[in-house]
Amino acid sequence: MGKLLASIKKEFLILVNDKVGLLLMYLMPILLVFIITLVQDSTFKLVNENTIEIVVVNNDQGNLGDTLISLLKSSGSFDISEQSNIESTKIQESLLNDDHLLAIEIPSSFSQNLNEKANNISSNMLQEFGIGEETTSKTNEPVLPLSLYYDPVLQESFRFSIVSSIYSYLSALENRLMIENLYTQMGYDEIPDAMEQQFFNNRIGINQISANNAAGEVIPNSTQHNVPAWSIFAMFFMVISLGGNIVKERVSGSFIRLQTIPASFSLVLISKMFMYLVVAITQLAVIFMLGKFIFPFIGLPSLSLPSNILGLIVISVLSALSAISFAMLVGTYAKTQEQASGFGAITVIILAAIGGIWVPTFVMPYYLQQIGKISPMHWCLEGYYALFLKGGDWYLLTPTLIFLILFILACQILIYVKLKIQNYI
Amino acid sequence: MSAIIEINKVSKQYPKTEKPSLNDISFEVAKGSKIGIFGPNGAGKTTLISILCGIIKQSSGEITYFKDNQPTGLKEVLPKIGYVPQDFSFFPELSPYQNLMYFGALYGIQKKELKSKIDELLKVLGLSHVIHKKVGKFSGGMKRRVNLAIGIINNPDILFLDEPTVGVDVQSKNAIMTYLEELNVNGTTIIYTSHHMNEGQEFCNQILLIDQGILITLDNLDHLLADHNETSLEALFLKLTGIEYRD
Repeated sequence: MGKLLASIKKEFLILVNDKVGLLLMYLMPILLVFIITLVQDSTFKLVNENTIEIVVVNNDQGNLGDTLISLLKSSGSFDISEQSNIESTKIQESLLNDDHLLAIEIPSSFSQNLNEKANNISSNMLQEFGIGEETTSKTNEPVLPLSLYYDPVLQESFRFSIVSSIYSYLSALENRLMIENLYTQMGYDEIPDAMEQQFFNNRIGINQISANNAAGEVIPNSTQHNVPAWSIFAMFFMVISLGGNIVKERVSGSFIRLQTIPASFSLVLISKMFMYLVVAITQLAVIFMLGKFIFPFIGLPSLSLPSNILGLIVISVLSALSAISFAMLVGTYAKTQEQASGFGAITVIILAAIGGIWVPTFVMPYYLQQIGKISPMHWCLEGYYALFLKGGDWYLLTPTLIFLILFILACQILIYVKLKIQNYI
Repeated sequence: MSAIIEINKVSKQYPKTEKPSLNDISFEVAKGSKIGIFGPNGAGKTTLISILCGIIKQSSGEITYFKDNQPTGLKEVLPKIGYVPQDFSFFPELSPYQNLMYFGALYGIQKKELKSKIDELLKVLGLSHVIHKKVGKFSGGMKRRVNLAIGIINNPDILFLDEPTVGVDVQSKNAIMTYLEELNVNGTTIIYTSHHMNEGQEFCNQILLIDQGILITLDNLDHLLADHNETSLEALFLKLTGIEYRD
């Protein structure tokens, strides 16, 4: 026990004696989480909070353009900035120069076109029913479309969802006009209230239910994704310090001297694992605390901690041990510190990319999603997603637990084999 | 004098090499002796010393250590073996005190005894004034002395030294060799390698010459010089190993 404590103390002293390295080990992940969360916060808000800033240029000479704008406003999905008498080229320039991503131009004949279209349809319907009179003057002028201007950076799927939304309000407007016309041609002044209620306010609803075991629904936001994701990334970036540390001790001859001392070599490895586990867990704790208590002060969503705290501890410890085992593996096989840091850093970046740290795996092609499953970071993130977004049921955590334990074991076996070949063990 | 180590037909062949680094070496190390292992570059000196203190395993042959005059294996005698490698094998981020506390604890030395031993060692080796400074900032000579201090923290019965004075100034060399002499007087058997022939001539009472993995001779220096009609170890060395480059 005394030997183990001495080894742990030595690792602790090496860490604290390198004050700059220690500071960076905590400061860099915090900066990373802060910056990425701030950068991604607006994107998450765009997708999740459904308030899309949009410029509407209303050139309509009638009043239906205003009605459409009112409908869009009342939906609560759009933050509308109205402009008028702007040429098409100016709208494009405005989009390129301004912060807006979308603009709609309502043509000058919008009301006239809609009214004529509704009038024609309702007249034709009454004639078909044998009620109406045959009209002599039918208008077949083409209906001028609305124009949607968009910033080229806008994702296609997002653009389509906006267009679908506008279509639905447009068809609501067309239907109302058509029904009003039908009633007018049948001699009514306006649609009876009861009918209006049935026509327009009696839509079949859609219940949206999140697949979540938690009692209260946690809405995915930039904090819920970025805090665990970038904490995992920071833990795996330990490969630079821990991997380099192992290579340095091996190359400098400290490992060789240890072979001539009556102490088990595994003591050295266990003490390193323990010390870096403490570092990783305190890194996580600091970042989670910041997410919980500091983020709201800078306008970011607060981190909602899961109810399964034991699950959070288990996933955090296994994630940290995965990162440490990977770093030790790189340090054991690398011949120089440059090899360890170069290979380690690039590998961590690749594993992070395919593991869904930067962008969620569901937006990746199928084959990349499958490849991503070999990344330990993918499983760490899956564990945190299960905890933070899906209620953290142990059943949901099982695949993560199995993969991470297997990954840690595989790394440790490979480390043992290499050290055995080199006669250290 | 009784033997403290018996080396019997030890050979070492590294993977992917044509010639063995050590070829059928046999000799005995007498208790309390000061053996200097000399040879050209690549002769097998470091390989021999690494096998003797357990860093690498021999391909064939046997080595027997004697603990309390009873034959035993390396594992049992490890606590009484000291090793001072050619490289600086310590933690430059730590002070001499922290390094010695760590290695001393690995030998299982009790804290109180360890502290007293560290104070004594650092005083003798002229490092008391830098006891809490980081070793990484020391001069080459000071680092060599720290390297030596770690190797003898356990009061070894057998001390292996691989080029302990390489790259140090005269003062540090003098301090190191004087202390080694003192250790030997107090009963420590010393086995060391060096390229400094004058140092070896002054320090060692037995000379082991090795070349291309083969033991050329092991004898008392005076006998060797008389037998080969030479006046210095360097002249004897050149006579027995030749003047051609070996690397």
